Amino acid sequence: MRIVILSSSVYSETACALALRAAEAGHVPVGALALRTLDRGTVLRKLGQWGVRGVTHYARNKFLPHRRDGQSLVSNPYLETVLKHRDGVFRNLREVAAFHRFPVATCKNQNAPDSIARLKAWSPDLIIFTGGNILRKPLLEIPRLGVLNVHLGCLQEIRGMSAPEWSLLQNVPVGVTIHFMDEGIDTGPILQKYELPDAARSGSLSDLRNRLIAFGIDKIAEVIAGLDQGTIHAKPQSDLDRDNQFFVMHEWLQNQAARRLTMMRLPVDAAHG
Amino acid sequence: MTDFDAAIPEKEDRGSAPPSFAAKALTEATGLLRAPQRVFPLIQKLASDRVRTSFEQKHLYSFATTKRSSAVTLDLVFRWIFTAHRSDGGIAAYYSLLTGYSESYPEVTGYLVPTLYEYARVSGDDGAAVAAAERATNWLLSLQTPTGAFPGGLHGREQEPSVFNTGQILQGLVRAYRETKRPEVLASAIAAGDWLINTQQEDGSWSGPSAYQNAPHTYYSMVAWALAELSEQSTDHKYGAAAERNLDWVLSHFRPSGWVEGINLRGHPNYLHFIAYVLQGVLECGILRRRSDAVHAVAKPAWVLLRKFETNKYLPGAFDADFKNGPHFTCLTGNAQMSCVWLRLFEMTDDLRYLNAALKMNEMLKQMIPARGRPGIVGGVSGSYPIWGRYQPLRYISWGGKFFADSLMMEQRLTQSFETSALKELPCAS
Repeated sequence: MRIVILSSSVYSETACALALRAAEAGHVPVGALALRTLDRGTVLRKLGQWGVRGVTHYARNKFLPHRRDGQSLVSNPYLETVLKHRDGVFRNLREVAAFHRFPVATCKNQNAPDSIARLKAWSPDLIIFTGGNILRKPLLEIPRLGVLNVHLGCLQEIRGMSAPEWSLLQNVPVGVTIHFMDEGIDTGPILQKYELPDAARSGSLSDLRNRLIAFGIDKIAEVIAGLDQGTIHAKPQSDLDRDNQFFVMHEWLQNQAARRLTMMRLPVDAAHG
Repeated sequence: MTDFDAAIPEKEDRGSAPPSFAAKALTEATGLLRAPQRVFPLIQKLASDRVRTSFEQKHLYSFATTKRSSAVTLDLVFRWIFTAHRSDGGIAAYYSLLTGYSESYPEVTGYLVPTLYEYARVSGDDGAAVAAAERATNWLLSLQTPTGAFPGGLHGREQEPSVFNTGQILQGLVRAYRETKRPEVLASAIAAGDWLINTQQEDGSWSGPSAYQNAPHTYYSMVAWALAELSEQSTDHKYGAAAERNLDWVLSHFRPSGWVEGINLRGHPNYLHFIAYVLQGVLECGILRRRSDAVHAVAKPAWVLLRKFETNKYLPGAFDADFKNGPHFTCLTGNAQMSCVWLRLFEMTDDLRYLNAALKMNEMLKQMIPARGRPGIVGGVSGSYPIWGRYQPLRYISWGGKFFADSLMMEQRLTQSFETSALKELPCAS
């Protein structure tokens, strides 16, 4: 199976971990296409999402030499095992690509003609999206099977942004959905849906999000195998008339979601003594 | 072209030709000659909005974090409102960076009364807000004509009766009566209500000489809301019936896309302020009259606007038909009104996405309120952002402050009640 990875940056831990898991399962990617790291939109978005401190911390781990002070070099601790490499970790897609020998290209826009041409040259069976632009039809039509996305929520109930947080407030099971992408927002055919076991054990919203990302990466290997063997088939979503799109959650509501997570944890903690 | 008077349509002369744009602009500009000390704040505001529009970068996470406290901003907005309270008892329509404060404006003074009482309730105010509301009410009582109508326009400029202004003032009278139980206030409200019923057309609309440009307008749903409020205080069913007649007429102008026809302001674009008026009037009247069809009807355009705001982090100040984007400026009053609509829809449907959008909208608006500056500027809500935008350019307007204060107080009430209630299942509305 010829797999290509789309990423919002060569420094994306999710993209690195996904490439490594695919390679581990016998599907070394045939290429990866990432947005330029200093893409203005991405930098602004990350500043908005993580704040200056979060972005600085992330950049320090990515750009400065390995530290040996015992501090984690990975932002998402649940990816540390898969990213482990010699006495450190893979810190970017170029390092992963050099190890597994596949090409990495960068672009300004994943939908741009030169990006499309490059992707076509790789003639992928499957593209796995880990971040970047909203994908347009010409790109979506390139791979033989489709473009896969791991959505951090259960479709069809929660589409769009802040899915784990909205799941908590909407009383929807917390989990991931692996689906083919179409031109809508999380409206493409569903391959598999997985509930996160013991979601309530998450210590915080960011912990929950990190767990979901790692969980989704583990599950995507199963889906790739299923697609390869023809045992998994996509089912179109039936509930497209219902507008289930959610948007980035405001801080105040995030606090309520965190409170909900704490409330969910109480009986679990009690049961575990 | 700029519409210096677009949000105060009732004050435009209905018989003779209105003064030209050039004449209006010249009149405004001469204000600087009379008070040259206004030049510096004017240049400062123009420069700051120019810098902001050049460098501001909106992204997916814009307005998702709290940068300014809602309570502090609410106090700032009320500081502006109290300062705009004129010695005659009315509240000025606006503070212009060119000409300073305008005359008192009966319409806005009327519908600021409920806002003042609400502020007294939420802030534990020492009586200043209640005193302001009572002074405003007494001033309004002195303006009522023997027919029961109230005059349109700025105080002292026009004495013609106005349906819209009477409706807006009626809201204030009803609230003042609820708070004080003064019989003369109820009598005034009933006289206003009776006049509105007498001038209502058979189809439920208002047109003719007491309607702006002699034409019917769907944003007169605000009048229906006021009549529905009056019906809650009166045993006579006619006020509620009249409100519903208008509600039915307005609802017949809702299109499947969510667009509402019949705003019908000749010579003006469809400002968000007026679109939001239609939605607020229909929603509040629908809630009071227990008309779920009205609430459902409003949910459609409110959702269209919510998606636009969430996607672009911005709502244009005016729209072409079917919500096609209009000129590139934003109408802060319309934004605050949409926040009120979303908050009320959250209250009615439990759909947290409305609350989420309102929190972000309020966050955006809070960042637009000057925390420093001279009276008339500090705590003011400008007509447009940037300040030279088409809607009420170079002015801080009292009705902007009113709607923003309403939305902040509603935000406080709803978030507090959400926090204190046990977290429960909250289904999606759509």
